[in-house]
Amino acid sequence: MKSAADLQTVVEMTRSIPCAPAILPKLLKLAEGSSSDLGEMEMLINLDTGLATDVLRTANSAYFASNQRCENISDAILRLGSKVLYRIAASTLTGRWLVHPVRGYGWEPGDLCRHSLCVAICAETFAKKMQIADSATAYTAGLIHDLGKFALAYANFTALDEIANRVPDEFPTWREAEKAILGFESTEVTKALLENWGFPSTFVSVGYYYQIPSEAPEEERKIVTLIHAAKHVATQLGYGVGVDGFYYEPDEVALKEAGFKDAEMDAAIPEILATIQRFISPTGEIRFT
Amino acid sequence: MASSLNPVAEQMQTIVVGVADFKISTEPSTYIVTHSLGSCLGITFYDDKRRIGGLLHAMLPASPQVQGQKIREAMFLDTGIPKLLSALIRSGAKKHDIRCKVFGGAQLMTADSFFRIGSKNIDMFYRLSQELELDVVSWEVSGRVNRSIRLNNLTGDVIVKIPSKPEFIR
Repeated sequence: MKSAADLQTVVEMTRSIPCAPAILPKLLKLAEGSSSDLGEMEMLINLDTGLATDVLRTANSAYFASNQRCENISDAILRLGSKVLYRIAASTLTGRWLVHPVRGYGWEPGDLCRHSLCVAICAETFAKKMQIADSATAYTAGLIHDLGKFALAYANFTALDEIANRVPDEFPTWREAEKAILGFESTEVTKALLENWGFPSTFVSVGYYYQIPSEAPEEERKIVTLIHAAKHVATQLGYGVGVDGFYYEPDEVALKEAGFKDAEMDAAIPEILATIQRFISPTGEIRFT
Repeated sequence: MASSLNPVAEQMQTIVVGVADFKISTEPSTYIVTHSLGSCLGITFYDDKRRIGGLLHAMLPASPQVQGQKIREAMFLDTGIPKLLSALIRSGAKKHDIRCKVFGGAQLMTADSFFRIGSKNIDMFYRLSQELELDVVSWEVSGRVNRSIRLNNLTGDVIVKIPSKPEFIR
């Protein structure tokens, strides 16, 4: 275990983790583009054997299969469409990164991945219902919103234990304790990682502001607030929530401004739960595709 | 964990209850487990004379009153608790011998208008416990912790796990 280090050290340490979701921004751009980008998409997917396998498996699953089997990525792309393909890529690549066993936040192995998946599904559901963001973007933003915490846990700081020991007696919120003890917040780590990987500014803003959406730039405030809402609903659901989970303040002003209503969010929970349970078993196993 | 040093505990089989589900067991050498309650409630029922136990993991307080709408009864306290009680009684438990314990209902920070599922669940459980005359012997609810629970069907003890803390028994 190490004592506190600076933000840049944390970011540098995560460079050694394999399978970082660094090709996601490129895939996102291609998924939004024209059919002429399909060749490039195929090339990117083929670079990653695990991802290519997941794409082919999904294309040949009972849900998507037709009379003809998909034998290659090119056919799979045509069958699945770029949106579905992107969703598979986002889940596979981010999930693979997030399931690295790390210590911190009282997590059991896979907890951050379970929680991030729940946030993604809540965000996707609210995006569709409220039409305040593209659902694929919301889903990805949910998956990556807390990458900085993963990086901190990976860096294995004793300072994380100190934060846990001093919240709530000395610091009412986890954010305040991070600032005082680490000298920076986990959201700053998320921002630095996403910027390093070339993620679009929307995702960087989500990672940096999702705890305080009122402070987000106006043009990105809606999706940041969406992730804020999704985060809190997912926390209530419990999946993968660590020792920090209930020590964040809801930003009621931003939620009201974006049109969120408590009763409507509660009413969406049965649908959200049904989706979550397609991907997470009662014992906690995660299945992305 | 102390339980792993206990030869009896090592022979216990485990039944896992997902969110919006319940399970019962008439087999004493069984743990009934549910993970990560968050703001949900985990409610155990145990007839210690017959060693019949059950566990419900309910997410929301009240089922929607929409004609013809199919619901998952175990998702809601108002439908899940009667359903679990009936299942236990059908399996041989006696209502007057059933003791109940309740866990979960974690609450987010000062949220006047949002994210109040934890407190709504606790209020509803309190109301239902009066209406159904439940013998509630343990309340481990509210607070800002994510609880996982394990009912020992041999003893009726419930082992509680919260992140970064040692397990304890209720």
